[in-house]
Amino acid sequence: MFIYEGGKKMDSVYVKSENKKSSKAVKKQKMEKRHFIKSLRHREELAGYLFIAPWIIGFLFLMLGPLLFSLYASFTNYNITSQMKFVGFENYKRMFTFDELFWTSLWNTLYYVVFSVPITTAGAILLAVFLNQRVPGIKWYRTLFYLPAVLSGVGVYLLWMQLLSPSTGLVNIALSWFGIEGPAWLYSPEWTKPALILMKLWSVGGGMLLYLASLQGVPKTMYEAAEIDGAGTFQKFFKITLPMITPVIFFDIVTSLIGGFQIFQEAYVMTENGDGGPVNSLLFYNLHMWNNAFEMFNMGYASSMAWMLFVIVMLLTVINLKIGKKWVYYEGGDQK
Amino acid sequence: MKKIFVWALTLIMVTGLLSGCSETREESIEPKKTKDGKIILDFWTFWGSETRRPIIEKIVNDYNASQDKVFVKHTFLPWGDIWTKNLAAIAAGKPADVVINDINSVAHRAKNGQAENLSQYINDDGFKDKFYPELWKTVIHEGDPYAVPFNTDTRLLFYNKTAFKEAGLDPNKPPKTWKELETYAQKLDKKKGDQYERIGFYPLWGSFGPESWMMNADNGQGYIDEKGKVKVATKEKVQALNWIKGWNDRIGIDNINAYKADFGSEQSNPFIAGKVAMMVDVGTFYTQIRDYGKDMEFGVAPVPAISESDKNWSQGGGFVAEIPKGSDNPEEAWEFIKYLTDKEAQTYWATKNFDNVANKEASEKAMNMLKGTDQEIYKATVENLDVTKLHPVPVDSPDYQSKINPMIDSVLLGERKASDALKDAEESVESSVGQ
Repeated sequence: MFIYEGGKKMDSVYVKSENKKSSKAVKKQKMEKRHFIKSLRHREELAGYLFIAPWIIGFLFLMLGPLLFSLYASFTNYNITSQMKFVGFENYKRMFTFDELFWTSLWNTLYYVVFSVPITTAGAILLAVFLNQRVPGIKWYRTLFYLPAVLSGVGVYLLWMQLLSPSTGLVNIALSWFGIEGPAWLYSPEWTKPALILMKLWSVGGGMLLYLASLQGVPKTMYEAAEIDGAGTFQKFFKITLPMITPVIFFDIVTSLIGGFQIFQEAYVMTENGDGGPVNSLLFYNLHMWNNAFEMFNMGYASSMAWMLFVIVMLLTVINLKIGKKWVYYEGGDQK
Repeated sequence: MKKIFVWALTLIMVTGLLSGCSETREESIEPKKTKDGKIILDFWTFWGSETRRPIIEKIVNDYNASQDKVFVKHTFLPWGDIWTKNLAAIAAGKPADVVINDINSVAHRAKNGQAENLSQYINDDGFKDKFYPELWKTVIHEGDPYAVPFNTDTRLLFYNKTAFKEAGLDPNKPPKTWKELETYAQKLDKKKGDQYERIGFYPLWGSFGPESWMMNADNGQGYIDEKGKVKVATKEKVQALNWIKGWNDRIGIDNINAYKADFGSEQSNPFIAGKVAMMVDVGTFYTQIRDYGKDMEFGVAPVPAISESDKNWSQGGGFVAEIPKGSDNPEEAWEFIKYLTDKEAQTYWATKNFDNVANKEASEKAMNMLKGTDQEIYKATVENLDVTKLHPVPVDSPDYQSKINPMIDSVLLGERKASDALKDAEESVESSVGQ
């Protein structure tokens, strides 16, 4: 993605410089340059493919087989050990007409995505802006805020289970300082998902790093020009900073949206017996799918659920890509 | 090109992230025989702890010493992995020869072709009489056994005798009915201002969940009876759920959550720490009290019954030894299972682990071998097996709990009426049975 972008950028720079010259001698030079650009582009393309080769090889040789198998399995009553009869669209029918938990799990997942994606994106940007200031010890702050992103998995969830503990947890103790009586978080069906979103917000360090890098790539000259024109801090932020980092915002939103739909571990670890919490409030799509696959051996049905999720996520991603064209600003200019 | 590339990238990104769950790797193919020509039997258990591993390995070593054609190789797989690994190995056609598996889902595995039918190996009609009938029932699918029970457990009421004395209760008269449980509990509560210093009893702490209390109230009847009839919304179960809700209302959900947050295990187990005066837990909980509750004065009693005329129904579970479908050496595996579930190995397991075993004779023998308090408590657990029920997963509705539990949650949180919620749960389970 970035290589491709870079290629574009370079291309347009050359195009601009071309327009300024017009003599015949220059034309020849131009041809040569074009040739050079072309071969450069080829080389870059090749390098790009080489970089993603491990991925592609892994995909083709390790994942494609199981993937196609699961697509076929989704039309069967496959249970791993004793049966694999073709049942047509039976599994998909069951999903929409019979399995109430399918809807519950889809709703829970959507709820989580709809809130967690914007909140964590905004949180990461805000944090990056703060950490982009020139104050003493900024490197320490950056490390400090990035730290949670390094920690991951079950350890973090166990930590948060303690933090969110209704009466002795740090979160509710902190709230009580302001006279707020905190909710029961993981024990209260209305607050389980907000609790997870809060936890997610704690580890925005990864996204923050991306934003920080792109913030530092915004040319200083733009701010200087804006200052001369009398722009204030907010104007500079909304008119320069934000537009300049939209490609990274876009990237972040697309990937965290896809990632959001994958939420599983949190619910599996943080609910009693991994059953999806009080009143199924943390029964996420993947948890329901996992239960079907590995608790009940309904592998055929679980496969069809996996493919349904694929369709949903794919659709949303396509919509994202379409809408993205309207608001993502590439410095290079000629993005379609 | 550009467009295709972007699309391909998106596709890869999405599928890459989607395929997070992958099946476990196939086990590497191992030599079938030892150097001296003995057949290798693969034996999988999840017993890897400091206490359990030496015990099971001693049992295996004893067997190996007695054999000249077979060598049993014990492999420990972590609790969270063993079932999926077993499943993957069966699917790949390279399973272990003997695996220790959950007792409540034997029929489910039998139905799905994951375990060998053992009826062909059992020539002795009296074989099943060696085991407690309630346990043997769980290994039968369509008339044939698919596993042999290995160990089991039962739940008892543990009560703190010191606290009893302090509250003016007779430490040798534990509560027998729910009514008594309530009056005792209130006497045992100790408050300082609004805060509880000790809670007499709360039904859901320990290991006796709503489903167990509902079964206890309903004459030992679980959610689904032996004929496959769904019995979730019976009068007795509704009453039991309301009873539990009553505890929430009296003590207060906030207090319960606050209290629960401090719970831990061993020294900080609420019962051992003296913060809860009575608790229903598995028999082996005794070993925690013995090892971590220095000189604690406590007693055990059957789980209180809903009324004097009812039985003290308790809940049990356990594990079985079975031959995964596709084992290369089923006959040798069967011989080993026979040994595992026979008197000698079972007695050793029972006494060293303080665990209830499936073999009746071994249970009796272990009871006589243990000494002092060990013996007293072990005796109570063995006697309690008479009123202990197991609730195997119904083959037609393996996910029945996922339909019932959220309804129970909603009642306990005060969102719904018990009778309505259980009625809905019953209908939901019924529709999946009839599927």
